[in-house]
Amino acid sequence: MNSTNIHNIEHNKRNISLGFMPLTDCAPLVIAHELGFFESQGLNVTLKKQYSWATMRDKLHAGVLDAAQFLAPMPIASTLGLSGPAVNVIAPMVLSQNGNGITISMALYEEIKFVHQRHHIDLPISAALLKPVIEARKKASKQTDTKLRFATVYPHSCHYYQLLTWFEQNGVNKDDVDIVIIPPASMVEALQSDDIDGFCVGGPWNAKAVRDGVGVTGATSCDIWPDMPEKVLAMKQSWQEQHPETTKALIIALQQACDWLATVANRFEAARILSRHTYLDLHLSVIAPSLIGSCLVHHQLSPRHIPSYNRFALDGNDTINKPELFHGEWLLSQMVKHQHIPAEVKLEALIDSVFRQDIYQQAFAEHDAFATPTKVTPLKSTKMVP
Amino acid sequence: MQKQQLNELNVLLIEDDKKKADILMSALDHSQYCIKHVASSGMSLLKQVEQLQPDVIIIDVESPSRDILDSLSIISHANPKPVVMFSEQEDTETINQTVKSGVSAYIAGDINPVRVRSILDTAVARFSEYQALKSELVKTKQKLSSQRVVEQAKVWLMETKSLTEKEAYHRIRKMAMDNSQKLEDVAKNILSLAQMLEKSS
Repeated sequence: MNSTNIHNIEHNKRNISLGFMPLTDCAPLVIAHELGFFESQGLNVTLKKQYSWATMRDKLHAGVLDAAQFLAPMPIASTLGLSGPAVNVIAPMVLSQNGNGITISMALYEEIKFVHQRHHIDLPISAALLKPVIEARKKASKQTDTKLRFATVYPHSCHYYQLLTWFEQNGVNKDDVDIVIIPPASMVEALQSDDIDGFCVGGPWNAKAVRDGVGVTGATSCDIWPDMPEKVLAMKQSWQEQHPETTKALIIALQQACDWLATVANRFEAARILSRHTYLDLHLSVIAPSLIGSCLVHHQLSPRHIPSYNRFALDGNDTINKPELFHGEWLLSQMVKHQHIPAEVKLEALIDSVFRQDIYQQAFAEHDAFATPTKVTPLKSTKMVP
Repeated sequence: MQKQQLNELNVLLIEDDKKKADILMSALDHSQYCIKHVASSGMSLLKQVEQLQPDVIIIDVESPSRDILDSLSIISHANPKPVVMFSEQEDTETINQTVKSGVSAYIAGDINPVRVRSILDTAVARFSEYQALKSELVKTKQKLSSQRVVEQAKVWLMETKSLTEKEAYHRIRKMAMDNSQKLEDVAKNILSLAQMLEKSS
């Protein structure tokens, strides 16, 4: 561990409050904290659990949080002032890829099987299978609103754009479907009580719906658009300018955590830590699956093997944590396509100023030791869940 | 709760903690605010907002349901409402400084009845002012765009029918009067016809 940074950091900020969302992919933040990676970079980090993305955003904007786990499109939304005042928020590091899933209710699953006269539906489930259901409902009643209703977690989120892409790729008109916003923790209940027919959400909520026997996870984000940034490290640009050394230290510590999470055995260990009350406060059997590359599908069927369901580190020889401009451009194009960005907004050079790969690279320029991924040492207790 | 007949405003209080809700509700007793308390989240909250059509919404900063409220103006057609946040933490004062649209005020620290009422009053007033400005902007934009359409239709008529500007304008106006349509709609028809002709030629 390189210790020179600790001295530099005297001129910067040591005490950091870092916002996280209780979701499976908050693992890098929790691991960096629990395994002392922050500490060894000279940082005293307090993890602050948040329950809503809007609150996370407001607190980061106001400086109540120094940095935060953000949905990848959120720094773009903040910078453009799409929800509230415009604040220059940057993403100098990608924390995770993939991790979302689309789950439909048991009732809708049965209805699809019935309409198509099938006993078995291939995975991933194509949204095209919904079309006869949508048509049948249209005919059944003209007065009352019988549209299929799907939920997602936040308007400026990969979940929302992935759900729309899933419909579009399979010829479902989005106007034939209602989309509502519901907090992740209320999704399973909404599905169970037939308030919604399906949702697109991150872990562990898809696994929870399957374990509870109320839903079928038909597709994951890996089936829709794989390997795009899901969560990023976010901070105000002004904060980064005031605390460049602290920013570097944060990035290095989080990179160590991401690298540590590269092996399945360690990710299982992470699931055990995440299940604690302070973090997700949920049973290991719903937290672990996506982390160990397993997508629960149906409570009576065997899970799908999706190795990159939750990805935090290397993809082959290349890191996924550097904010790539083409990834940012992709997210931006989704936001434009779905009319979240008004047509008159000038977008040239926007991603350059938000997806700050220069800051990511600077962090490692002085740390040659991290040019190659750190050796991953699995902890002793590494039992696999079935 | 005593109700006053005039100028009563419906307030939807979203709070899971019954104690906190009671404090806020008693703070607003005998005021012009009629409070309806809900502890639900998710879909049932969406339904409540739809049914109650509240004039103001009060919600805890830490509530997961904040994202629902935040999204209402973005992807649903619900009318925007003033939202007042409260929290026991003092940091909400800081958050308050960053707040402009949608959320109109934050109540920080202890809930003082007198203060709560004045915060709500201010929030409602500020919100209506903001909405008035916003709708004025929309109107102005519409007006500009309708002028632009008429202008384009005029140019097309001038070019293809060799009319003067005055003649072109009169022709559009006559069509509008004959068919009891708006100038803008007539101009749009002309332009779509023009587009069709251009494509087929």
